[in-house]
Amino acid sequence: MREPLTLLTGLGVITVLIVFVLLPIVAVVAYPPFTDYLTLPENGRWVRAALNTGRMVVLSTTTATLVGFIYAVVISRPELRGRKVLRLIATLPLFSPPFTLGFSYLLMYGRFGLISHDVLGFESSILGWKSLWAVQTLTHFPFAALAIERALAATPARLEAAARNLGASGFEVFHTITLPLVRPAIAGAALLIATYVLADFANPLVIGGDFPLLATEAWYRIDGWGDMRGATVLAATLLPPALFFFVAERFWVSRRKYTVISGRGSAFDRLPLPQPLMWTLIAVCLFVAAIILSLYFGIVAGAFTETWGVDWTLTLNQWSVVLSKADHLRNSLLYAATAGLAATMLAMLAAFLVDQRAIPFRRVVDFVCVLPAAVPGVFIGIGYLLFFGRAGIPFAGTATLMVLAFTFANLPFSYQVVRSGLAQIDQNLADAAANLGASRLRILWDVHLRLLLPTCVAAWTATFISCITNLSIAIFLVTSGTQVATFSILGLIGDNRLEAASALTTALLAITLVVLMITWRVSRSTGLVSVVVDA
Amino acid sequence: MLESYVELVALHKRFASLAAVSDVNLAVPEGQVTTLLGPSGCGKTTILRLIAGFLQPDSGDIRIKGERVNDIPPQRRGAVVVFQDYALFPHLSVFENVAYGLRRRKVRGPELKGRVESMLTFLGLADQAAKSPLQLSGGQQQRVALARALVVEPDVLLLDEPLSNLDVKLRVRVRTELKEIQRSLGKTTILVTHDQEEALSISDRIAVVEAGHIRQVGTPYEVYARPVDAFVADFLGIANFLPATVLAVTPGSVLLDTPIGRLLAEASGFVAGDAVTVLLRPSAIRLSASSGEAMVRTSVRSTSFLGGFRRYELLLGDFLLIADQPMTGLDAREPELWLSIDPAAGLHVLASRPR
Repeated sequence: MREPLTLLTGLGVITVLIVFVLLPIVAVVAYPPFTDYLTLPENGRWVRAALNTGRMVVLSTTTATLVGFIYAVVISRPELRGRKVLRLIATLPLFSPPFTLGFSYLLMYGRFGLISHDVLGFESSILGWKSLWAVQTLTHFPFAALAIERALAATPARLEAAARNLGASGFEVFHTITLPLVRPAIAGAALLIATYVLADFANPLVIGGDFPLLATEAWYRIDGWGDMRGATVLAATLLPPALFFFVAERFWVSRRKYTVISGRGSAFDRLPLPQPLMWTLIAVCLFVAAIILSLYFGIVAGAFTETWGVDWTLTLNQWSVVLSKADHLRNSLLYAATAGLAATMLAMLAAFLVDQRAIPFRRVVDFVCVLPAAVPGVFIGIGYLLFFGRAGIPFAGTATLMVLAFTFANLPFSYQVVRSGLAQIDQNLADAAANLGASRLRILWDVHLRLLLPTCVAAWTATFISCITNLSIAIFLVTSGTQVATFSILGLIGDNRLEAASALTTALLAITLVVLMITWRVSRSTGLVSVVVDA
Repeated sequence: MLESYVELVALHKRFASLAAVSDVNLAVPEGQVTTLLGPSGCGKTTILRLIAGFLQPDSGDIRIKGERVNDIPPQRRGAVVVFQDYALFPHLSVFENVAYGLRRRKVRGPELKGRVESMLTFLGLADQAAKSPLQLSGGQQQRVALARALVVEPDVLLLDEPLSNLDVKLRVRVRTELKEIQRSLGKTTILVTHDQEEALSISDRIAVVEAGHIRQVGTPYEVYARPVDAFVADFLGIANFLPATVLAVTPGSVLLDTPIGRLLAEASGFVAGDAVTVLLRPSAIRLSASSGEAMVRTSVRSTSFLGGFRRYELLLGDFLLIADQPMTGLDAREPELWLSIDPAAGLHVLASRPR
């Protein structure tokens, strides 16, 4: 090896990945005595939790994918005005804490819900699996909508024109050309949604009622019983299906994606859909978008209401809670920003070394970098608690531990963003630098870092949002000194202080939105990129 | 043979403020290759899409075999397109790509298999049937696209820049193949291209299109040697435009005063004193190292070796001429040469000066 520094860096990256990705996973699986796994089928409540989880995954994935598909078809119609507004509404849940919709569902459609009780006059509790199903659908359909929209946009209209030209009717074009071409995207989105629903933890806590699921049971074992063995058994049960969805997506679906023969060819307009069909689809989208908007309205309205469902007086009183919990917000902001920075830098380094084939065990490193995406947050939380929470580890119970957990849990997003960014950089540039005498790390600095700054901003933003809205990891790692906003909100909801919870959620959403807008502007105007480094 | 197998009558199509197709009239004879030739953005592809039914004309008629097809949707028009980038279905095998149109026509079973296989064999693709089109070379992909179009036995074959995605060497070979296939099937074909060489070599008739208008329709020889205006002349190959004045007129010919002396050209419809333009192709100029009768002295600005011939840029005063000479005789470093016109090449007189 002529570049000892590069090799050393590579080995460093591998060590870090082993310690912070693989070992915590192993720690969870290996924690309970093996016989504990065998007794799982004898515990009636746990079996129910497993079956409920399965049912919720199947139902929510099906409806979320279906709604996402309909939504994608509508927002991919270029002739449709307002499709950008529809798309924007669908992206809202992606930038919100995971329980936002569940919580607001409670406000709007719960027992004293604004719409269910005050507008429609129902008098019943909505807690339970049907509401959870609805909320999971609303929370997760955007993944399918955006992924399928992208696949539809990548399907050249000229293929549809060619099919039409060869005698296919509108339905036949859809059935024989469009649908087969986007099918891998649909399957990929479905698997992704299944992973999220499987691991989701926040919405069941808020509106699941007594509907035991594996993820929530694991939390109750620790929170209520201090039963780490039970918690790890339950969390470990989540791992095989999660890994299955992940591997299926990565090795089966993504290989079936069709590269369309590209070449010079002029653009075609998409064939129009039959009017009645189009209007039906638009109606579905408008309905979904209206519900989402109503839920966000509920959150904001709650933040300015005296007592939800009883006293609708407009007030700013709730914001005193926000002020008293300002340090929680500050923690959220700080941890998310730091983790975003760390994840981006690590992703950059790992992606570069993998891309340049300058690291041993390249394929393994590639896999380990994206592996955390398959691991439910609950699992990572417990894993970090177990592996780093013990006495003797210097950062046990500190903010550092939470930041590390956030960093590695979100490494896959940054890593994938950076890798695709790297793939777009012409290898000739790196070759030219090498040809002029630059070492690999020098090339990383001179060529890739400069060209990848917008990509880095995107990677940082993605990690930041994912961290600031995270609950499933934070809930296991918070201590009295490291409280984060999502955890406080959950506590407020638990204490039935819904208005204060609304105010804090609104504040969190506002912060997220402001950061998002700043980075969006920054990544588009290159001069301000250094803002990210100072974050 | 129908002289108007496909007929375009007073066709108009606007996109927003752009008149993409303006008053296009064209008769496409049966069994021949008719080419729409023009620069990119001239509207030729729009005309093709109007014929295929992907676009609706604002006014005017499209007729196929005498029948007005304006209101017939693209899937029933009998005008099948070979797309510029082939538009092969990436999720279907070569066999299924070719079978696609037959399946839509409810052809099933042994007939389907037989027709697809004989078409694949005809185009030399029999071994490729089970492959994905993504596995094929550019030339093979192009033949799959052709097979897919031909197997449904369309009334008209529409070729949209069919050779533009092939490399130069392959292009010439596929061009010949395409012509042979078309000849052997006698399929009425409309070709769209911006490549004048492709158009000249493959077409029975060429329609030169500019800014949505058809400038001239004729055989390849007619549009090359007898262009109606400077645009057509220039688009079909390198052209020298000599400004000239008509000195005298006799029936069938004119005597012209030009920068290279007095020339006699076949032309009619001019009167003495008309300002005209003489089209002179580079191959119509002869150069010699020594002076002789009816020769003009020119200075050589530059020369370039182009394989079969040498191209000269000549200055006649400040007037620039381009001349191609066979690779014999002349010393390339000669600073001055004597110029004359090949009497066999003939001169073509255009009514006005070039823009």
